[in-house]
Formats: sequence, structure tokens, C-alpha cells
Amino acid sequence: MQVFIQTLVNGLVTGCLYALIALGYTMVYGVLKLLNFAHGDVYMVGAYIGYFVIQWFGGPNHLSIPVPLLIVFMLVIAGLGTGVLGVAIERFAYRPLRDAPRIAPLITALGVSFVLENTVLLLFGGFQRSYNTTDFISDTNGIHIAGAHIDSVEIMIVVLTAVLCYGLVQLVDRTTLGKSMRAVASDREAAEMLGINVDRTIALTFFIGSVMAGVAGVMSGLEFQTISATIGFLAGLKAFTAAVVGGIGSITGAVFGGIFIGMCEAFSLSYISEKYSDLIVFGILIATMLIRPTGIFGRRALQKV
Amino acid sequence: MKVRISLVAMALTALVAAGCGSSKSSSSTTSAAASSATSSTAAASSSGSGSCTASIAIEGPFTGPVAQVGLEQLHFAQLAVADDNAANHTNVTLAQDDTQLTPSLAVSKTQSIVASNAVASIGPAGSQEVEAVGPIFGKAGMAFVSGSATLPALATSGKNPTFFRVVPDDDIQGPQDANYVVNHLHTKGVLIIDDDEAYSQGLVNVMIPVLKKAGIAVDHETLNGTDTGATLAAAIKSLVTSHLSAEDGVAMLPWQTATSAQMFGQDAKQAGKKVILFGTDGTNSPSQFNIPGTYVSSFGPDIAGSTNPLDQAIVKGVAKYGPYGPFGVPTYEAADVVMKAIASVCKSGGTPSRSNVLAALKQTNIPANANPLGVPVAFASNGDLAGNNGYLFKINSAGKYIEIPPK
Amino acid sequence: MPQIGVDEWVAQSGERRDQGTGWRRVLYELDTRVAWWQRLALAALLGVAFGLTTNNVNLLTVGFTCLLYAILSLGLNIAAGWSGLLDLGYIAFVGFGAYGYALFSSTALGTGGSGGVHLAAFISIPIVMIAGGLVGVLIGLVALRLEGDYLAIVTLFVGQAFVEIVNNVDPGTLGGVNGIYSLDSLHGFSGNVSTPRGLYFVALIVVAVLAWLLHLLDTSRTGRAWRALRDDPLAASAMTIPVNKLKVMAFSFSAAIGALGGALFAAQQGSVFPTNFTESILILIFACLVLGGAGSIAGAIAGGIIVWALEQMLASPTDAGYLFYGLILLTLFLRIRPLWKFFAVLAGIIVFGFVAHAIVGAISSSATAGHPGSSGWIGSAVKNWVIVPHDAIGYGNILFILVIVLVLALIRVEGTARLLLVVPTVYLAACCWESRLIVNPAITTQIMLGVILIVTMAARPNGLLGTRRVEVV
Repeated sequence: MQVFIQTLVNGLVTGCLYALIALGYTMVYGVLKLLNFAHGDVYMVGAYIGYFVIQWFGGPNHLSIPVPLLIVFMLVIAGLGTGVLGVAIERFAYRPLRDAPRIAPLITALGVSFVLENTVLLLFGGFQRSYNTTDFISDTNGIHIAGAHIDSVEIMIVVLTAVLCYGLVQLVDRTTLGKSMRAVASDREAAEMLGINVDRTIALTFFIGSVMAGVAGVMSGLEFQTISATIGFLAGLKAFTAAVVGGIGSITGAVFGGIFIGMCEAFSLSYISEKYSDLIVFGILIATMLIRPTGIFGRRALQKV
Repeated sequence: MKVRISLVAMALTALVAAGCGSSKSSSSTTSAAASSATSSTAAASSSGSGSCTASIAIEGPFTGPVAQVGLEQLHFAQLAVADDNAANHTNVTLAQDDTQLTPSLAVSKTQSIVASNAVASIGPAGSQEVEAVGPIFGKAGMAFVSGSATLPALATSGKNPTFFRVVPDDDIQGPQDANYVVNHLHTKGVLIIDDDEAYSQGLVNVMIPVLKKAGIAVDHETLNGTDTGATLAAAIKSLVTSHLSAEDGVAMLPWQTATSAQMFGQDAKQAGKKVILFGTDGTNSPSQFNIPGTYVSSFGPDIAGSTNPLDQAIVKGVAKYGPYGPFGVPTYEAADVVMKAIASVCKSGGTPSRSNVLAALKQTNIPANANPLGVPVAFASNGDLAGNNGYLFKINSAGKYIEIPPK
Repeated sequence: MPQIGVDEWVAQSGERRDQGTGWRRVLYELDTRVAWWQRLALAALLGVAFGLTTNNVNLLTVGFTCLLYAILSLGLNIAAGWSGLLDLGYIAFVGFGAYGYALFSSTALGTGGSGGVHLAAFISIPIVMIAGGLVGVLIGLVALRLEGDYLAIVTLFVGQAFVEIVNNVDPGTLGGVNGIYSLDSLHGFSGNVSTPRGLYFVALIVVAVLAWLLHLLDTSRTGRAWRALRDDPLAASAMTIPVNKLKVMAFSFSAAIGALGGALFAAQQGSVFPTNFTESILILIFACLVLGGAGSIAGAIAGGIIVWALEQMLASPTDAGYLFYGLILLTLFLRIRPLWKFFAVLAGIIVFGFVAHAIVGAISSSATAGHPGSSGWIGSAVKNWVIVPHDAIGYGNILFILVIVLVLALIRVEGTARLLLVVPTVYLAACCWESRLIVNPAITTQIMLGVILIVTMAARPNGLLGTRRVEVV
């Protein structure tokens, strides 16, 4: 029982991180029909920014400010930093390709991914850095359920994901910006003709999506402690998978997809063999896609002729 | 359409240019670069007596998921080349070849090394890469020395006639570690996890029989070593959650990343599971893996705390290139061995070539106090290190590595 | 970007081209007058000449790998280029071919490291291709239910699943993590082909034959149907084009060619390992295809050759230096018009550099005490031009970020300000290159590759040899 609950918790936490990254993917895809493979590396940059914020305030053992304030600083600075990075990437790398065939921005995204990853490698070296979270956040507080343990960082992750997801849904459904996003996603030329500032809407979409990725980076640094220049690519792939499985373009779908994948991974790792767990997860996901070809929450687009 | 032909022409030109370029410079020199990075040995290394000039290459994963390991090895090799150039008045230049730990890239880099005028090579880092490139080096008669490939078959299969290594292979290290667990750690059950890579599986295959023979219950699990970030962390957490049981007094982690071992230990502590960790040399990293009560085996002593002037010079010297990490020390020695072989060829009046450097390498005999590994360095006829240099450390309550007898 | 215009403007695009003059016109004339088979023969002739005249073993090996990537791009082109199916699992077909060849040419199927099946290449490679085609049919059947990015995801899984399978399943036969090595080289019934020159010619013949066959396919009904499928599947099916059958065909052809490429790859390497077939190689093949021009045979071939040649050039610091300075000069030349302005800017950069070096050198001698990273004539030429301090790492890092910011700023400003900004930007970029980037050639290779991809895609979104689309609004 303890193993079951602990596995559940593990899956939920990892799933929430995938979900946060997947949110950025799905927003950008919805608006631009672009698979932004550089998104995972934006997440990695966020993790590094969080690391440097900790060092700036004295390092994990000699913090000069209280921990809650530190966390707020990390989230805000990393979020803003990655947001600006995302907007810059869109402005300089993707804007020239707005009307290009879909396969071209894919390669640009890969190019951006190479540049980001290797710039970090160049500037900060290959040495894996550690947040050393346990030095300033004790991992024994938290709650215990039936022998399973959920520490404070994990609770923070789940709560933050829920809040951000709710906030994002409200943004898209209720605000003008959200309406612009939906309009641009639906028909960009028509939206432009109706007076919506398409460039600004797309830039804001990228900003919000990248902020999510940056926050996910900081959270994953706090939770898993080790960061290196190469954590972005695999995380990006997983998030992309989550966005698609959940139904690309749907926010709740992305969150659900992320948690679904996190759970599948955790349960197959714990209960079935570690060796074949990846294959099992792939099998589950392929089966899901075959049963629901447009993703779990995806809407079957009716094509008008 | 208009520029189609011109572009095809450009493509072909690029190919030809690449070829011309790489033919004369695939052993391209980074001597200037090395000397711009070093300060005190700059004058000596680049203005060596000039009569003993040669070029060597180093292969390793300098980008990609294991860039940390590769860059560490590169920095130590660069330091060894600079130090030995100064000490022996030679003028050897070191070219870098990035393999990203992928055997196919290692093969293509090896082919360009062989086509260049390099006389010897250092690395590659992984056992699979050695398997792939061994015959190529062998056919060219070019020696290559690895500081980290430990698969026993590499030396015994006969397919890699010019292969040398300065570290003991798994057949020595594995049983030594397993016997220590049996004799000193008195546990009923052991959880042993391999990371699905050749290094890890090789060690596990020799450790499990030793443990089983002593009547210990062995739980063998696998971790996907190519995962990174959140996926890797989730996998490690699941291992702790579902496979670490109360009977497992010891968890053996023959991994290549110290940070993963640290994650495992912290997860275990957080879950309230008491377990003694036993890591192998791949996890030996005082700054990254420092859970008190852990045992870590190694190929070499921890020179960071040594008072030996050579060791201190190495620890200080590598700072010019990058941070210190124990994984690099064997590669320092591998480079050192090659440099000394070249110097001895020059001293006996010859010009360094592949065949005489290979012959000189076979005669290597460096006493223990002249190299950082702490044991005499000499090679058996199949390229294995003659002699055994297994070391064991225990991490004390302050997180420091204390050397203890390995048997 | 596609040029957008109304009907008449579009209709007159041919006229506008015909009235052009100068070197563009000459090239265009050549292009239209020379038939496809003449172009193929010309390219093949160039390839043969290259293969016969060079004695440099390294060049021949590089040539072989370039042609190999051309083959792999051609295979991917059928699925992703012609049919618009985003196949992110293509590398599984390549791996399948490689492992298939390995099983038929080594001791893997034998017992205890001996025996095994050792088929001649004439037999094993066609078998592997047909098997690959069948696997492609299987994947195609799965793909029928999925569209666009959903298809991409499932194919991605297949690609990753392949690596997992060969890594974990049946290590006795498939070798597990340690792979299968000591493969036979390509051999017929008597001789074998193992020299670099021989392998190069085998690859050249394969590329030429493939290009010819694929051209026949492209101009056939199937090719046209594939293009219809790519542009608008709904309209295609409304025109009674058998969309499902075509999708399956696309996958199976793509897989067969991928398997062929994989088999050649295994034969040349002499070994197969699971880690040879990860996403990084897939990314490279996609870059080859899209850079060259997805949907065009010449584009796929050119892309394969160019990308691998770039990788080789970038890996050696001297060549990377040529490429770096060469590309900067080329960009300036192409973008600054008229010509006198280009020379003025060039002169400005040179003068600025010497002046800066002199000033900084006078202020602090340690700031210019380092050596430029480039060797040879470039190194001596720039020694008194770039500022390379004693301890270059931190300085180089800061410069790197500064150069990136300046380049982005360059894109935003216009006119004279832009020309003025170019001078310090280029100079600082050269300083950064000499002091920092060239010290870590492996990392610099990846960065430059990424930058080349970004810039090329921005300049020519349809790839180098792809067709420009003119859209009617």
C-alpha cells in the first residue's frame, strides 16, 4: 500500500512538471501550428537561472534571505528570463517562417535547440550543478500518508501546477488576450483583418508558454537537484508527447497528458520491470493514440470544404 | 530554380574544401589554444626544443549527455600534455575529437585520426566505442590508451592489438568490490542496479556470482542510463520506492554519474530507508556524491587531499582548464604514458612514428611515485594494466572521502 | 516567404523571369535547358572524377558518409517530402536495416561466437530492404488512423521503441548494449569491397540508381498522387485518389530505402550498436532533407552532402575558421549593396580592429598577451588585430553573449545605423572566436551548426534547392 501511494505521488509530481512544459508547447502549437522543439531547452535555461539565483543569495548553505522569499525570487527571475528568451526566439527565429511549409520551422527549432544547449555548455561547462535543496529545505517536513512521504517541494509543485493551469484556462476563456489567442489560432489572416495585433498576440503566447517552462525548470531543480545542459531535450520530448496525447491545442488536455505520462512511467517503473518500462509506456501511449486519434481531449476538427 | 546549379556547385565545392581541409589538418592543432589557456607553462610548451615534434589525438564525449565526463578527461589530458612538454622538452600537440559517446561517430573520428599524422591516441571513453574502433587502430598500427574503458574482453578478445588501458578491468574491480561487501558489510540482501550501459553491466555480471556464492540474496534491477533530468529522477525514485526493501542492507550502484547516485541516496534517506550505498569509480566525485557512510571504489587515490607535490600540481594545474574531478586522473595518466613514450623515442634519437611509439608504450614502466595513480604503471602483453590498483573510500559524517583498505 | 499576389501578378511571374538579365539569367537558362538526366549524369561524372582522382583516404571516407546521408535523406524525402507525413521514427528503419545486415553478416546467428550466417551482400541487402518495406507497411497501417502531429508522435515512439528493443531484447543474438561487431564487409561471391574507395563507389552507384528510380517514381501517377496527398488530403480523396494505399506505400518505400542506407552504414562501420540510432542522427537526417529542400530529389542529395561536409569542416578548427570568416564575408557581401559600401565596411572593420588592439594594448599589456586560437596564416594575420587576453575564458564568455545581443540588434536596425553597427559586431565576433570558441571546437561545431540551420531556414524556408511557392490570395 505504501508503495502504491508513493508511486502515485511520484507519478503525480513528475507528471505536473511534464504538464507545465506541455502547456507551453500546446499554447504555441495552437496559435502557430508550430512544434517548438527548443521549448525543452528553455526549460533547461530556467533551471540554470534558478541555480544562479541561489548562488547569488549566498549559496545553499549560507542564504542571506529566508527560503520562501528565495523561492519567490527564483520563480520570478527565472520566469521573466525565460519569457524574454522565448519572445526573442520567436521574434528572430520563427517570425521569418510564419508562412513557410510546416517542416521548415521544425529545423529552425532544432537549430535553436543546438544553440541554446551548447551555449550553456560553453558558458557554464559540462559539470553538473546541484541545487542542494536539502541544505535549505528540509526534506522531512511534509505529510505522511500510510507510510508514503510527500515533502514540501512536491506539494509546492502540485499546487503551483494546479494554480497555473487554472489561471491559464481563465486567461484563455475570459480575457481579451485569450480571445485574441483563440482567434489567431483559428484563422490568422482573418484575425489580422479584424484588427487583432497578431504579432503581439503571438509574442505574448510565447512569453506565457516560456514562463511556464521556466517555472517548471526551477521546480524541477528544487525537486531533483541535479541540472545539466542536456536535461532539456528529453524533457521537451516528453512534454511534446504529453501535449499530443492530451489533445494538442487543449490546455486541460496538456495537463492531463502530462500527468498521464508521469503516472504511466511511475507505475511501470515500480510494478513492472525497469528495463522494459519505456517500451511499456510507449505501448500504452500508442494504444491511446489509436483509440483516440486526436488525443484524449482533442477535438476532431471538422474540415470545411 | 535559377540558382539551383550554382548551389549544387557550391555543395560540391564545400565537399572538396572539407576534404582538402581535413586531409591536412584533421590532426589540427590546438597548441596555440592550449597555450593561450595555460599561463606559466605556455612558454615552455609552445616553444619546446622543437626537435621532438609529434601530434596525438584525444577522443571523448565533449558534447552530449555525458559531456561532463568527456570535458573532464579533455582538461586532464591537456594538462598532462602541457606538463610533459615542459618536463621533456618535447613539442607535442593534442587534437580533440568529439564522439558524443556514440560508436558511429567514434568510428568516423578514428578514421580521420588514422588518416592524419597523429602517432598515438587517447581514449575513447566508452567500452562500446573501443570495440568499434579497436580494429581500425590495429590495422593502422597506432596505439591508443584509454583511461576509462574497463570491459575485460577489450584486451582479451585479440581484436584490439594496439589497445592499452591504465585502469584495471571489471574482472578485477568487480570481484574486489563484491568481496568487500561479503566480508565487511554483513548484510542479508543486496540491491544491485545497473544503468544499462556496457561499463555497468560488465561489473554487475562479475559481482553477482560472488555475492550469491556467499549466500546473499541479490535483487538485480536496471535503470535506463540514457535518461536525463526529470525522467531519470523519476526512475531513481521508483527504484527507491518499490525495490529497496528492509532486507537490502546494501545497495550497489556501478554507475557513471555521481549525481544519480547522490539522488538515489537522498531519495532513500527521504523515504526513511536505511541502506549503505556502495558506488564504483564512475560515481567517485567528492563534490557531487557525498552521503555519509557510503563506500566508493576507485582506480586511483584521491589526489585532492594528497601532499605529494605531483598530485598537488595536478589539482592546481587543471583549474586552468576546468574544475577538478577524479574521473579525469586516469586520463591524465593515459596522456602521460603516451607523452613519455614519445619522449623516450626522441631521446634514443628516433623520430616519433606510430610503430616506434607503439613499441615504446609496450615498454612503459613508471614508478608509483611518478604518477598520480599511486601504483607502478606497466602493461601486460594484451594491453591491460599489469597489476591492480583498486582503492576504496568511505565517506565520513562530514561528507569527506577517507581512504580505507580495499580488501 | 511565399510571394503573395493576385492572379495576374502570379501569371506574369514567368514573364518577369524571362526578361531578367545577368548571371541569374544565365543560370536560369542553363537550368531549363539541361534535362534531368543530363544533370544526373553530370553530377555522377563529378562524383566519379572525385573518387578516382583523390588518394586521400579520409576524403573518400567523408565522401562515402556524405553519400550515405544523401541516401538516407532520399528515403525520408518520400514520406516527409513528397507525402507530407511527418515520420519521426525513420531512424528505426535505418537501424532495422543495419541490424538486419549485421545478423546476416556476422556470427550473431551462430552459437558461441562462431558460425552464423554470412550471406553475400547481393542477397542480404535486398532481403533487408524487403523486410524493411514490410515493416514500413505495418507502420503505415498504424498511421492510417492518425493525422499530422499525432502521426509524428506515434512514429517517434516507434523510433524510440526500436532502440529499447535492440538494447534489451535477446542480448545473445542482438548483442544488447554491446552491439554486434566484426561484421563482414560488403562481399559478393568472390571479392569484397572494404577499401574506402570501393565503398565510395558503391555508395555513388547506389545514389545514382536511386535518384533515377525515384525520378521515375516522382513523375509517375504515384508521385503526383503523393503530392496531391501532401497538399490537401481531403481534396485528394474526393478526387478518388486512394489515400490510404498511398500512405502505406509512402511508408514502405521510405522504410526500404532507409533499410538500404542502414545496411551500407553497418557494412562500412563494421559494427552496430543501439546508441548509433538515437534521435541525434534522426535530427541530422531531417536537417539534411529540409536544408536541401524537402520534396526535391536533388535537394535531398545536396542536403545530405552539404550537412555532413559542414559537420566535418566544423570539427577541425582550421576549417572551422575558414568557414567562420568565409561565411561572415559572404553574408556581408550578399547583404550590403552597393559594392562600395561593402568595401567601406570591410575597411572599417579592419581599421577598427587594429586601433582597438593598439589602444587596449597600450593600456594594459596583459589584455593582449594571449595568442589567437587559429593556427596557420589566419593566426598570424589576426595576431595584432584581435584582442585576446591572458586568461581568455571569462572574457570570451562575456563577448559571446555581447555578440549575440549585437547581432539581434543588427536585425532590428536599418540603414546607416546598421552599417555602423556591423563594424564592432564583426570585430567582437572575431575576438570571441579567436579567444574562446576555437578552444572548444566540439561545442563550437554544434553552435555553428545550429546557427547555420537557423539562418538558412530564415533565408530560404523551402530549402536550398526546393521550389519557391507563389501563393494566390
